[in-house]
Amino acid sequence: MTSGSSQMTLRTDGLVKRFGDTTAVAGVSLAVEPGEFFAIVGPSGCGKTTTLRILAGLESPTAGEVELAGRDVTDRPPRDRETNLVFQDLVLFPHMTVAENVGYGLARDGVPEATRREQVEEMLETVGLSGFGDRDPASLSGGQRQRVALARALANEPSVLLLDEPLSSLDRTLRTEMRTELRRIQRDVGTTFLYVTHDQESALSMADRIAVMRDGRVVESGSPSTLYNRPRTAFVADFLGDANLLTATVQGRENGRVTVEAGGGRFDAAADTGVPDGSVTIVIRPEDLRPGGETLSGTVRSVSYKGAHEEYGVALDGGDSVRVRTRADGDVTVGATVGLDVLDASLVTEANTEDGE
Amino acid sequence: MSGLTDRSWWPSTPAARGTVADAGLAALPTALAVALGVVPLGFLFVESVSPPVTLTNYAALGGSVYPDVMLRSLGIGVVITGICLTVAYPVTYWLAHRCPARYRLALLVSFTLPLWLNYVVLNYTWVWILAENGLVNVLLTETGLADRPLDLLRGGASVVVGPFALPSLSLGLGFVHIYLPYVLLTMYVSMERLDYRQVEAARDLGAGPVRVFRDIIVPETYGGAVAGALIVYARIAGAFATPQILAAPSEQLIAQVITAQFYDVLNYPFAAALSVAFLAIVLVGFGIGALSSDVRAELGRW
Repeated sequence: MTSGSSQMTLRTDGLVKRFGDTTAVAGVSLAVEPGEFFAIVGPSGCGKTTTLRILAGLESPTAGEVELAGRDVTDRPPRDRETNLVFQDLVLFPHMTVAENVGYGLARDGVPEATRREQVEEMLETVGLSGFGDRDPASLSGGQRQRVALARALANEPSVLLLDEPLSSLDRTLRTEMRTELRRIQRDVGTTFLYVTHDQESALSMADRIAVMRDGRVVESGSPSTLYNRPRTAFVADFLGDANLLTATVQGRENGRVTVEAGGGRFDAAADTGVPDGSVTIVIRPEDLRPGGETLSGTVRSVSYKGAHEEYGVALDGGDSVRVRTRADGDVTVGATVGLDVLDASLVTEANTEDGE
Repeated sequence: MSGLTDRSWWPSTPAARGTVADAGLAALPTALAVALGVVPLGFLFVESVSPPVTLTNYAALGGSVYPDVMLRSLGIGVVITGICLTVAYPVTYWLAHRCPARYRLALLVSFTLPLWLNYVVLNYTWVWILAENGLVNVLLTETGLADRPLDLLRGGASVVVGPFALPSLSLGLGFVHIYLPYVLLTMYVSMERLDYRQVEAARDLGAGPVRVFRDIIVPETYGGAVAGALIVYARIAGAFATPQILAAPSEQLIAQVITAQFYDVLNYPFAAALSVAFLAIVLVGFGIGALSSDVRAELGRW
């Protein structure tokens, strides 16, 4: 292991998992810091859940290492790891009360009953379920069951809490509420959270750092704002939010920025990665195109009202189509000619992984 | 008021009419249960107190060998159920959660193969295997592991544990052989319904194999185990051929005694009383078992 690994709560090195002929995880290396809220996002089948199950000890990797708080736990069973998992479908124990569910991990750790009772009550309070201890899990609402699952996994104070899309079964309002709650609980208990989801919105709103996975590999990782505003790959740009991807030619370059020609106009774009010659891809977020400018021009093809904002589909004179998001003022109509300013743009590569493979 | 126009008997709300419909639907199974269960049992009970009305037959149950026979039958039921469950838990767990799906059906069918065969024939295979000149003894003497043939068939029924006597080797093997498939089936149904992720959740929270078994598998498959035990007891209550073929002379079981009363002694009332009494004991046993396990679950929670 490299130096400084003791700083990391959780570290994986080149994790590979093959099921027969299929490779679910194709070399994942992660480093999660203590107290961090780390999210792994990716489309279904990208290997994120398998990665999580390897971390929990429920699968053993075909190759690679898992290190928890400086200790190699690759071959340790789940009970010898200070990780707990919140399952996608929660999997509360149906034959136990809420308090028994929450206290289960403590009981297995040999915590005496009186202490356990106190800790369970404390934990229920943390998740906002005081007084629910004697209830049957089946009698709770979806949101309450989420909280029980969370309390159960947190009660014996794991050093890392692994969460496998636990919010996916909730409706939108409850999901938003639970996101805020998760964040609050994470700050309260100070545990490292590793959250796996296909929902980029959840990841962006909760995580300190995000790793985006595709085809068993980590494509990019970084803070939500970095990944959103300065994606380095077209895949990440497209996966995290809406993105206009334009083919461009580089006209000039100076430290970290390039001038490109795309969509019939010329503008600046951020270029963190090495700039290839010739044709490149530029990503522009819909909200970074401002109507009323002069950089690009085109014809409005569609207008959709979204409440707080409006979205236009604009066919650029240069040939490409882009989406534009702006405050709803209702003065743009289909067929109108519109000029656009580019507020922000980034140069991205089509490369698949962090190593540029 | 004329009866034709008076509809006061007809429910006035949809909910109440639903209740009538429910009652109608429940009528057939209820009728079946009464015809096949309650009525014969009623006849049996009436017979057992005849000539009407006397308790002499029940009083006679306390004498002679009858208490011993009942106790032995119950005890052998406990042992056989225990052995069957000991085998069935790991086998059905593996079959339902670990075995590759494409082999599952074939294995399940082969496990339950004895159900398709006549159990008298199955019992006689043990005679062939365990007899003085049977397979095991031939192997043992030929290889020199034993000087002379061992008394494996219908012998050695003397180990007593508490109030219960263990069955002799041949009787135990014979019973397990023919009852295990039933227990495997009932346990498999329960085991398949067990959500494997519950096992994973328990392991994740620090449970080792023993704890997973105690905390998750046993409570979640409790129904299958009880169903299996019920079937074993129901079969033992009627087991006549197996003890005739495989039991030691000292190991008379309840069904043999009842059969003797019916066929040889022609004492129908006493045979009926024996049947009713054994059924009552088994049912009370299961009742107490169900209660105490609830109690145990309550106590075991913390």
